Amino acid sequence: MRRGEHLAGWLLTLPAAIAFVALLLLPTLAAVTLAFTDYELGAWPPAWIGFDNFREMWTDRGFGQSFRNTVLYVAIVAPASVLGGLGLALLIESAARGRMFFRAVFFLPVVSLTVAMASAWQYLLHPTIGPVNALLGGLGLGGPAWLSSSDTVLLSLAFIGVWEAVGFNMVLFMAGLTAIPKELREAAAVDGARTAWDRFRLVTWPLLGPTTLFVVTISLIRSVRVFDTVAVLTRGGPNRASETLLYTMYTEGFTFLRLGYSAAITLVFLVIVLGLMLLQTRVLDRRVHYG
Amino acid sequence: MLNRRTLPLLALVAPALAQAPTEITVQYAQPVIFKDSYDAIAAEFARREPAIRVNFVTTANYEEGMQLILRQAATTLAVDLSYQGFNRLRLFAERGIAQDLTPLLRAEGDPAAMGYSPTMLALGHFGGMQAGLAYAASNPICFYNADLVRRAGGNPDAMPTDWPGMLALSARIKALGGGIEGMHYAWSSDDWMFSALLFGHGGRMLSENEQDVAFAGPEGLGALRLLDRMVKEGGMANLSREAAQQAFAAGRLGMIFWTTAALRGTMQQVGRNFELRTGPMPIIDEQRGRLPTGGAAGMLIARDRAKRDAAWKFLRFSTSAEGTTLMVRNTGYVPTNQLAIDEPRYLAEFYRDNPLFQTATRQVAISIPWYAFPGANSVRVTQTMVNQQARIVEQQATPEVVLAEMAAEVRRLLPRPRG
Repeated sequence: MRRGEHLAGWLLTLPAAIAFVALLLLPTLAAVTLAFTDYELGAWPPAWIGFDNFREMWTDRGFGQSFRNTVLYVAIVAPASVLGGLGLALLIESAARGRMFFRAVFFLPVVSLTVAMASAWQYLLHPTIGPVNALLGGLGLGGPAWLSSSDTVLLSLAFIGVWEAVGFNMVLFMAGLTAIPKELREAAAVDGARTAWDRFRLVTWPLLGPTTLFVVTISLIRSVRVFDTVAVLTRGGPNRASETLLYTMYTEGFTFLRLGYSAAITLVFLVIVLGLMLLQTRVLDRRVHYG
Repeated sequence: MLNRRTLPLLALVAPALAQAPTEITVQYAQPVIFKDSYDAIAAEFARREPAIRVNFVTTANYEEGMQLILRQAATTLAVDLSYQGFNRLRLFAERGIAQDLTPLLRAEGDPAAMGYSPTMLALGHFGGMQAGLAYAASNPICFYNADLVRRAGGNPDAMPTDWPGMLALSARIKALGGGIEGMHYAWSSDDWMFSALLFGHGGRMLSENEQDVAFAGPEGLGALRLLDRMVKEGGMANLSREAAQQAFAAGRLGMIFWTTAALRGTMQQVGRNFELRTGPMPIIDEQRGRLPTGGAAGMLIARDRAKRDAAWKFLRFSTSAEGTTLMVRNTGYVPTNQLAIDEPRYLAEFYRDNPLFQTATRQVAISIPWYAFPGANSVRVTQTMVNQQARIVEQQATPEVVLAEMAAEVRRLLPRPRG
């Protein structure tokens, strides 16, 4: 009996296990292997070059710039979209009317296709015929060339990134808010938490801990992953001012055909994402739960 | 096994076997531009070669076309004939994927008599072999908004023929105000438009033996200084190429310098917004000045004998005088077959009805191949050049500084002789 159950268990997990091995584990291992070769698309066979790809990465100014750009992008988008999402969730939650409407409006960017939305942004931010600069011109201000000037391009992309992520975070926070019993806030009011800020600080914020942790992690990972807007709007330009990790990985691998080097960048990217997840599960998870 | 009963049967089957269609797969990029031309050619080809069936595979752009073939080269090659950008052919020749077409051409007689002039053959000659046959060629031209030129006091029928004149006109157009820009030079896609400035000064990318850069001299400096003057004197705004095209179509940009390949699309975008005209590139050096040739060439991949023969027949037809005529009528590219250029029965009528397309054809005489860099870093080199030019357009560095750094970076990316 026991043994039969045991076997059934294995059989039931088999499809998922096969999918995991074939679609995730093997490709990842293949990428790890490639990272230590000089493999180029169309040039066979590749040779083992040990850590040369990583050594090159260390001195490659292009990669360095791309890494810095990504860090800056994440440093803008993650906090702004987390705080923005929280603010929107609180505002909508406390609204007497129109909850559904505002929730839908702010969630729209999440469900729409990034590539299509990028084209809309391209028009909005067009230096000469775009509405944004037309508006600024009407106010007597000269607008910059948002997406083609190296001073503003990363900021513009970050703004689009926030716009895209804030609705997603808002929905997560709203789910977290509904899980907090109303009685707790009422009790706090009775106990002397007079202002809304006090009640937020003493009740809502601590109880939102697990949600916030999840939102922060997912925002970090999502913003490290930025690719679509870069590929569609700027192609990393001008002069690499908006090149990010994934875009560099893509151009190295598929434009410059250096799959080995590209795989090495993938590995760095993988380490960053795994590091962020580890941070969530190991370090922070312990501190935010109320048992 | 053969006996009296099966023999007649075999006699019945044999002709059918001989007629069994050979299927070939042909890949080309940019269906938006090329689909009509390939469809027209395939229809005519089907009439002439009923035993060959052509299946098309398309990729959105040249880059994806290159990736497709290279990926297949690592697994199984399913494409028999591929039309690639001129500047990519070298890579396929160096990686042993493209086959030398010289023996096939010779077998058919004198190439020149078939319309394959040495100039046109040179467009597909890389790595010491005829890696491809030019299918469609283009060169850079000037698109301009005749209405804006008039408003700025210029004469659209007699545009300036040199850069100082063009830059002054650009500044006057920009001075009209109201968000109107003067000009855009399409420097940001790849090295093509830079090579137009370099070749225009009579310069070249690398030395004869391809061991060192050759653009770091006075010609290269002249090219970058000109780019600098476009910003300083012509008031060229920092626009991406797409943004510039959009502004041009909206009637907010006076002139745009880019490939004639964009002509059909631009005509559709502009519609009746304003009067669109085209003109030749301003002359830089009357004697030594040249222009780069863009476009696509067909390269033969199939190894299987039957498929190879069939693919060659299609390639041969698509680049013949008849094929070129169909291509020109359906795209607006420059013809690649000399017979189609020389003999009026092919295209004279088309050019009479479509004068905007004549500009590029007139520049063929001074057009030379788009230089393709050797080695594994060839694509990286072109990106480096674009990145360096961005510093001039953004006025972050002087042409002198940019030229020195561009030369140093490109040198680092050239293949080192193995020893």
